[in-house]
Amino acid sequence: MLDLSVKLGPLELKNPIILASGVWDFPYTKIIDFKRLGGVVCKGVSLKPKEGNPPPRITETPCGVINSIGLENKGLEYFEREILPELKKLRTHIFVNIFGESVEEFKKVASKIKEVAGLEVNISCPNVSRGGDKFARDPKIVFSITKAVCEETELPVIVKLTPSIENIEETAQAAKEGGAMAVTASNTFPGLVIDIERKKPLFKRITGGLSGPAIKPLALYNVYKIKNAVDIPIIGSGGIADYRDVLEYLIAGAAAVQLGSIIFNNPLAPIEILDNLECWIREKGYENLKEVNKK
Amino acid sequence: METTFRILPVLENKKLGPYHKITLKDAQMYNHAECGNFIMIGLQGLDPYLPRPFSFLEGNKESFSILVKMKGRGTELLSKVKKGDKLKVLGPLGKAFCPPEKGVLIAGGIGIAPVYYQSGWMKGGILFYGAKSRKDLILTREFKEKGFKVRTITEEDGGLVTDLLKKHTDELNGKQIFICGTNEMIRNIKRILNIEQIDKAYAYVEKRMGCGLGGCKSCAVKTVEGYKLVCTEGPIFPLKEVKIA
Repeated sequence: MLDLSVKLGPLELKNPIILASGVWDFPYTKIIDFKRLGGVVCKGVSLKPKEGNPPPRITETPCGVINSIGLENKGLEYFEREILPELKKLRTHIFVNIFGESVEEFKKVASKIKEVAGLEVNISCPNVSRGGDKFARDPKIVFSITKAVCEETELPVIVKLTPSIENIEETAQAAKEGGAMAVTASNTFPGLVIDIERKKPLFKRITGGLSGPAIKPLALYNVYKIKNAVDIPIIGSGGIADYRDVLEYLIAGAAAVQLGSIIFNNPLAPIEILDNLECWIREKGYENLKEVNKK
Repeated sequence: METTFRILPVLENKKLGPYHKITLKDAQMYNHAECGNFIMIGLQGLDPYLPRPFSFLEGNKESFSILVKMKGRGTELLSKVKKGDKLKVLGPLGKAFCPPEKGVLIAGGIGIAPVYYQSGWMKGGILFYGAKSRKDLILTREFKEKGFKVRTITEEDGGLVTDLLKKHTDELNGKQIFICGTNEMIRNIKRILNIEQIDKAYAYVEKRMGCGLGGCKSCAVKTVEGYKLVCTEGPIFPLKEVKIA
C-alpha cells in the first residue's frame, strides 16, 4: 500500500480523508471500513440536548442537498456516557464537533472531552437561531470562542468557518490568533427552497445549508484565499465527490479534506476515493501524497 | 440482517396500475430482507444526488422488486430505467418486525407496496384498500389468493379508505392493524379507531430521507418520546406513539 499520510498540525493522519460532522452515524460502520479513514468528525455535541428542527429537514437540489437539521443531539452527558466510548473503538482519528449558544457553553463542553485526536469548534451552523453562523461571521467572536476553548482543553482545536462572509481570511486569522491548530473551510452555504404547492419556503426556518458538488468551487476558493493569507493548516470541505476533487483541495492548499453528503449519494465514496488516490500517485510515479504539489 | 451497498442491474420495468414495478437482479438481498425492512435506491452519477427510500414489493432467490410512483424529478427518472441499467442499492435497512399470522392491513394508494410485502409473512386477514380510481387498484387478486378478505374503495366511486373503515369498524376488533398511506390518511384513521384498536395498530411512516443509515438525521418523525428517525427506528411505529403532523 502506498503512503497517503498527511500532516495536520501536530497530527499525522494515515490519509487526508476525514468524514465530516453530521453526515454519518454508527450504522455506517456496516458499509465503510472506518480504519481506512484518516479521521472522522462526530455529529455536533451541545451542553444540553437539542431536539432539532421540525421536518422537512432535507431536500435535493441540482448536484447537491440542502438541509435544516438544527444540530439534533442528545447533549453532553449522553455523549460522554453512550457515544464517546463507541467512537473510541473506531480505529481512526476521532475529532469531536462541539457546539454552544454562548462562550460559556463552548467552554463547558470543551473541558469534558478527553482522549480524542481533537475538537472541531462549530461556530458556523446556518440552521439554528441562537449561536450558529452568527458567531463565525465576526472575527472578534471567532477569536474569543477559539481562545476560550483552547484554554479549556489540551487537545488540538479546529475551528469550522462559515463561507457566508466576504473575507474568510479574517476569520481564519482570528481563529489562529485564538490558538486554533487548524480551520475547516467551510460549512454549508445558506440557501432557499420554495415549496410551489404551499407557495412558501420548504423549511420552517426558511433557509437551509447547501452542500454537495454544487458548492465545490465556492468552498475550494475559500481554501485558496486562506492559504494565501494565513499560515494555518486547512481542512478543505465542500462538495468532494471523487479523488480529483481531493487533489484540487490539496493543491489549493488544504492539508486534509472532509467528505460530507457524498456518502448519501454513494456510501462507499470514501473508500473508492482512497483507492483512486493511490492509483493516481502510482501513475504519476510519486512516492507518496506529500508530492502532490510537485511541479 | 446484513446491510450492503451494491450496484445492481434492472431485470424488468413494467407498468402496474399507475405505478412502475422495477425488478432488480440479485440473489442476496431477499435472503437478508425481513418484514418491515426497506432499501435506498439511487441512479448512478451525481444528479439526482440523493437516493430514495423504497419498500420492498416482493422477491425471490433471483430478484426483488419495488413500486415507483412518479412524484418528482428523481422518481420520474427512476421510472424510465430499462433492462440492463444499473442502480445503486443500499439495504436492507430499518427495523424488522414479526407480523401476526392474521391481521388487518390498511393501504392507501402506493401504500399497498409494504403491506403486500408484509402479507408474504401472513396467512390471511382483511385488506382495506383505497385508491384514486378503480384502475389504480392493484394486486387485489394476489391478496385474495393469499387468503385475505379484500375491501376496496376509490375516490372515483366517492369514498376514502376511512369511509370503508367506518362501515366495518367491528372487523378491526382484537386484531393487529397495519397502516400505510398518506399522513392525512393515517391521522384520520387514528380518529376513527377506538382506544383498544389504536393500541394494536402500527403505521408505516414515510419521510424525506438522506442516507437511510441514521447519519443525516433528516427523516425525523414526532413521537410521544420526541423525534425519532424513520430510517433506524422505523419505518413502522406504534400508532399510539407517533404524532403525524
